[in-house]
Amino acid sequence: MKKLLTLVLALALVLSMCAISASAEELVDGKFAETKHITVEIYNRNNDGGTDPTNNVYTDYIKAGMLEKHNVEVEFVSIGRWTEVDDMNTALAAGDAPDVCVTYSYPTIQSYAGMGGIINLNDIGGKKLEEYKDILPNLWNLLGDFNIYYDQDPESGDLWAIEATLADNARINCFIRKDWLDKLGLALPTTEEEFHNCLVAFRDNAETLLGADADKMVPYSTSYDVAWRNDLLCVSYVPDEVKDEDLYINGFDDRHVLYPGYKEGVRVLNKWYNEGLVWKDFAEYASDSTHEDDMMKAGFVGAFMHNWDYPYRGGEDSIQANLQRNVGEDAAYIAVDSFVNNAGVHRKFLAPPIDRKVFFPATNDEPLASLLYVDFISDPETIAFLQLGKEGETYNAIEGGYEKIATTGDYLQNSLNNIDYTITVNGLYLGDATAVTTAMGYEKVDPELIKVANAAAKADGRVVATFNCGAIEAEQEYGTRLPEFRDSMLNKAVTASEADFDAVYDQGMQDYLDNGGQEIINERTEKIAQFYGYTAE
Amino acid sequence: MSRSANLTPSQAGMKQANFRSYMRRYGTLYLLLILPIAFFIIFRYIPMAWILGAFKENNIFKAPWELPWAKNNGFEFFIKAFNDRTFINALRNTITLNLLDLACGFPAPILLALMLNELTFKRFKKVTQTVLYMPHFLSWIIISGLALRLLASNDGLINILYKRMSGNPDASIPFMSSNNWWVATYVVLGIWKEAGWGTIIYLAALTGISPELYEAAAVDGAGRFKRIWHVTLPGLRPTIITLLIMNLGRILGSEFDRPLALSNKLVTDVSQVISIYVYQNGLKANKFALTTAVGLFQSVVGVIFLVGANALAKRAGERGIM
Repeated sequence: MKKLLTLVLALALVLSMCAISASAEELVDGKFAETKHITVEIYNRNNDGGTDPTNNVYTDYIKAGMLEKHNVEVEFVSIGRWTEVDDMNTALAAGDAPDVCVTYSYPTIQSYAGMGGIINLNDIGGKKLEEYKDILPNLWNLLGDFNIYYDQDPESGDLWAIEATLADNARINCFIRKDWLDKLGLALPTTEEEFHNCLVAFRDNAETLLGADADKMVPYSTSYDVAWRNDLLCVSYVPDEVKDEDLYINGFDDRHVLYPGYKEGVRVLNKWYNEGLVWKDFAEYASDSTHEDDMMKAGFVGAFMHNWDYPYRGGEDSIQANLQRNVGEDAAYIAVDSFVNNAGVHRKFLAPPIDRKVFFPATNDEPLASLLYVDFISDPETIAFLQLGKEGETYNAIEGGYEKIATTGDYLQNSLNNIDYTITVNGLYLGDATAVTTAMGYEKVDPELIKVANAAAKADGRVVATFNCGAIEAEQEYGTRLPEFRDSMLNKAVTASEADFDAVYDQGMQDYLDNGGQEIINERTEKIAQFYGYTAE
Repeated sequence: MSRSANLTPSQAGMKQANFRSYMRRYGTLYLLLILPIAFFIIFRYIPMAWILGAFKENNIFKAPWELPWAKNNGFEFFIKAFNDRTFINALRNTITLNLLDLACGFPAPILLALMLNELTFKRFKKVTQTVLYMPHFLSWIIISGLALRLLASNDGLINILYKRMSGNPDASIPFMSSNNWWVATYVVLGIWKEAGWGTIIYLAALTGISPELYEAAAVDGAGRFKRIWHVTLPGLRPTIITLLIMNLGRILGSEFDRPLALSNKLVTDVSQVISIYVYQNGLKANKFALTTAVGLFQSVVGVIFLVGANALAKRAGERGIM
């Protein structure tokens, strides 16, 4: 009896192995002989009036396309956009993550890879990813080796994820109320000093600018996410001559907080805070609070830094549209480029063209079908449809590009240009038509403002060179908790009195380093010496 | 078992017959019991096997018994936790907040119940009780939103009023942004939310006190306060002791949503408690072995406190709970 059981089990094993190795040959003209079924992650943004992200005209298009082209059935599974890392962790831990997953957090992928929870893309059916290149032409065209192998381990060759590309690397802008400047007879600020003067003028002329609401005046606002929201100011204190290698060593925190000179930028912010120029309660409101946006919409905020197109996003509900409704037609936020470094350059540190990370959890039984999905979603034709929608419904063709039309019906896009569906590309990817389409892509917003913002965000941009030193173990150990220490340090430092600033900042930085920051720096120093022969001075 | 072994065969037969008729009578009740028992076995006892994970290497895709032991004879993660300053801070904050909760929050429902008990106008009492229960049904997320609108340092309602009244536009009370004020806010909001709900069990106990005792005390010339002191409070004593023991068992346990929702980046030195540590390290950073070790430590300390408090109570002549 026992023997029979063993025999049956062994037979089953052999059969299942045959099934795996046979899967590659099953494809005829890119189509599976037998219909496959895969699940795909999609962010859920829960936006007002949005459509069901798992079932709408865009998902129908993808489903129909995949079935026709590859004979693969696609099912979408939604994951909360703003809780994606937590949700993804829970799903991976529970073993019910979708077959095709996407996240912004590489440390999450790494730690599950370490526990055997992620598929090695260089070992699908015993083959390297390169051997599938023929059936994945769109993927290679879109991403190239740079993005595809960005995360490949330099020693073992393991590849846990593919990096999506960032079509437009505009990052952060500083916005100021153009109508207020005009009212006070001030020019657009081009230096930190001029910017500061504008803020002081806003504060001192609150009565003129806001009348009865004068006590609600916020010359400059920020949020608890100090590093992101004040990046341009802080990095203007990073010396221009700093080497890429040193930026790599001090580059764990993608908000630049370990860069040399950074502290001096925070000191300026602390000074502004104590001069009454910065929103007093910024640190008390949590990430999901809309309080700050509401203040901007009501017209109480003079200036702020944020994502390069932040006030223009969201059509009818955008900050810009609300501002015009509440204050007047001439009210507008305009991007200004006011922060200059020691070389007289408006330096911005831009990310390399990588974005979200696409990966397959170990529970994925159809890695080949999943790869074909990633290829299908990288097809320029698919991307164009997802980003534009339907002519006459969501856009009109104009000279040199396309003009978006406001829509509330079936073709409504839950995310800007449907980036949640185009998981391998972030940003408009329409070839020559991109620039014009970007400027025309914001309903209710003057295209001129968009052009100014897009140019300002990239002016004097420096893309820090990439060094592939493999996984940094200390990052897996401490990576996820360090942002808490960073935010805590910066919030306390900005709100400290000027006399206490140094003590508070240094103590916070010490905590950051003691809780893993230093270990990461040390390991990065060792690794860059090992792989690139670089020794820090 | 040992007793039935001494029975003569006929006695044993009787027993069996008794058992059968007993089961015929009450069997359905036992049948009903199967579901709750199954619940406890599946969701409370079986998961205990995963406690082993605290002593094994970190891997969520394998059961703990399949994994190799962690370093240092399995105690790697306990050593790690106690060498981690963040954990020590969280431990200290948990104890501080829980002790303050106990000192301020535990007597609150007792006082409230005594006051309610003295109300003579029935309908007013009913309405008051309902109003007092209400906050219990609000989640901490909602309360934190309300609290921020009321207490924010600059544009919270209370501080706006305070500024107007003091005539100083820079005057403000940092309810949410200074460490000490935040702790006070935390404790007071806790009392506001739960004190009313907590009165229920005391009010129930109060109905058990014989009215004759009050009458006798009144005849003996005891006033209101004397009656509360000599009749009502002794009547509540067993309930108070029981709840106190149970509360002490939770001294190292920590709520999750309350500190998470009320906290902000300025007060992390006092607001990071063990549950948040576990959330950040376990769920967010996948260190399941470490957080299991922390959880086990919490439970063990909790049991020690529970048993210790119970023993003390018994020594003091109370019934205790075990």
